[in-house]
Amino acid sequence: MKKIKMRHKRWDGVQIVATVLLLIFSGLILIPFWNAVVISLESARAYSLHPFSFLPAEFTLDNYKEMFEKGGGLLLAYQGTLITTFFGTAAGMTVSVLGAYAFSRQFPGKKLFFRVMLFTMFFGGGLVPTYLLYRNLGLLNTYAGVIIVSLVSVYNIIIMKNGFEGTPMELQEAAMIDGANDLVIFGRVMLPLQKPLIATFTLFSMVGYWNNWYWPMLMLTKGNKNVLQLFLRGVVNGTILGNTSGASMAAEQQWFPQGVKMASVFMVMLPIMLVYPFLQKYFTRGILLGAVKA
Amino acid sequence: MKQGNNAPAIRRTSQAGHAGKEKRMFHLMMLPGMIMLFLFTFVPLFGSLMAFQNYVPAKGIFGSKWVGLENFKFIFSLPDSRQVFVNTLVIAFAKLVLNIIVPVFFAILLNEITSKIFKRTFQTIVYLPHFLSWVVLATVVTNMFSLTGPFNAVISAVGGSPIQFLADNNWFRKVIVATDVWKEFGYNSVVYLAALTSIDLGLYEAASIDGANRFEQTLHITLPSLMPTVILMTALNLGNILNAGFDQVFNLYNPIVYETADIIDTYVYRIGMVERQYSIGTAVGLLKSVISFILIMGANKTAKKLTGSGIF
Repeated sequence: MKKIKMRHKRWDGVQIVATVLLLIFSGLILIPFWNAVVISLESARAYSLHPFSFLPAEFTLDNYKEMFEKGGGLLLAYQGTLITTFFGTAAGMTVSVLGAYAFSRQFPGKKLFFRVMLFTMFFGGGLVPTYLLYRNLGLLNTYAGVIIVSLVSVYNIIIMKNGFEGTPMELQEAAMIDGANDLVIFGRVMLPLQKPLIATFTLFSMVGYWNNWYWPMLMLTKGNKNVLQLFLRGVVNGTILGNTSGASMAAEQQWFPQGVKMASVFMVMLPIMLVYPFLQKYFTRGILLGAVKA
Repeated sequence: MKQGNNAPAIRRTSQAGHAGKEKRMFHLMMLPGMIMLFLFTFVPLFGSLMAFQNYVPAKGIFGSKWVGLENFKFIFSLPDSRQVFVNTLVIAFAKLVLNIIVPVFFAILLNEITSKIFKRTFQTIVYLPHFLSWVVLATVVTNMFSLTGPFNAVISAVGGSPIQFLADNNWFRKVIVATDVWKEFGYNSVVYLAALTSIDLGLYEAASIDGANRFEQTLHITLPSLMPTVILMTALNLGNILNAGFDQVFNLYNPIVYETADIIDTYVYRIGMVERQYSIGTAVGLLKSVISFILIMGANKTAKKLTGSGIF
């Protein structure tokens, strides 16, 4: 062990070069976000003088005020995102965990059902037929539609199935000897043992719903329902705050579009920024599960 | 393997008695998922038949006229189709290659760092964009590449003329590939970091006794040790070669750069959802699905052959 540590103990040239390069990598990631936050906190005048500065030259919260007043829809969008994230994750995880457990056991027709499920992972109906189905079912302009369209992940089911299969048999046998039936074994033995795996997929699902914008864009067209990403798209495209081009701009524009955009960006990414550093181990586990033998 | 271990034990319980009841329980457990899949995946799959029709929503799939392969012939006759296909392949292939090289490089760098806190901090920072949507990232990226952004500031500082990166057919694809790598390299490096920790440290010792310096050790020990992972990831990603990244392109492109930016998925969206040519849109989508399906099957077989483990 001592020798192994030796290799890395010295603060040598290689480490210095590596550190410098890693600092550059980190800078490339951080600077764009930092700049967005700076712009959201400065005035139009300061921005026009120095569009790219490291601290807001004229600090102001006006952009955030403007976003709440003009955008209006931010609260509705937060509501929509919270609803779809919560119910989508809860329902999706229930369906997936149950399915995964069933497929980790033996039952008649298992192979056939599994093949059918696997097929849907690679071959879907495509955009247009799927959209028309949701329209015919009356799921447009409902949160239910937004939830259902990304509810079942076959990929998740397969990985969790493998997790269940990997549980040591001894534990299950011990439970059986104690007279537990399969349902009890599922609830008392298997679920608790697979908690980390389930937590990982729960988090993935939550991030997925939080970042969901494509189907909401296709589905939530009436404006009485919204989600955060769609709200942000509206702000960026000018459909929510009104078009900023043309002659009217100079005359009536008392506000700062770029600042409001960046304020919206910040409000949309804030929850994820706050949460993900603490859940890193679950997230990294996720990618390893996918890559190392599913 | 794991299944094989499980099977005898399960059979044992079945013989112990309450077999039928339990089997029914498993059927019930997978039922919700199966219903969802049937309704929301198989029904649209059936709806794909409209690719062979002149689909009219009012008449539905049972009333619309069948046209055989007319829609596909039409697609192949469009000059756009070829361009879209090429764009998709060019973007996806460049992403595939760079999304391996950069993460490997990053993982090797990170592996040289001894301090746990430093390591952790670097990792946390570079994972950030992975968890954000392209709606958010496109806004941030657009700001960087705008006329008043830092890149153009540097260009004008050295005396060049400003570039509209996102409205220039010479630049758009490069920006797409670069920003995709920017988003994913950190997260993609996780796999390689895991592979690095499993390298036998004795190899490095032996090499350094033989007089190999750190760079030579990386070249002759680290890189070869990472190769199985690299090959596996390449094979897995090859199945995705027709997915050039709808979310990203859609949030960054504009009509000026359709020529180089338009990919299959954005094309399907515009034909199917915007122009409402349902049959044509479906036909393009179906074509893509079929090719992807073949590619994925091939990729899985290759991955299995090369590393002994595939996706399924």
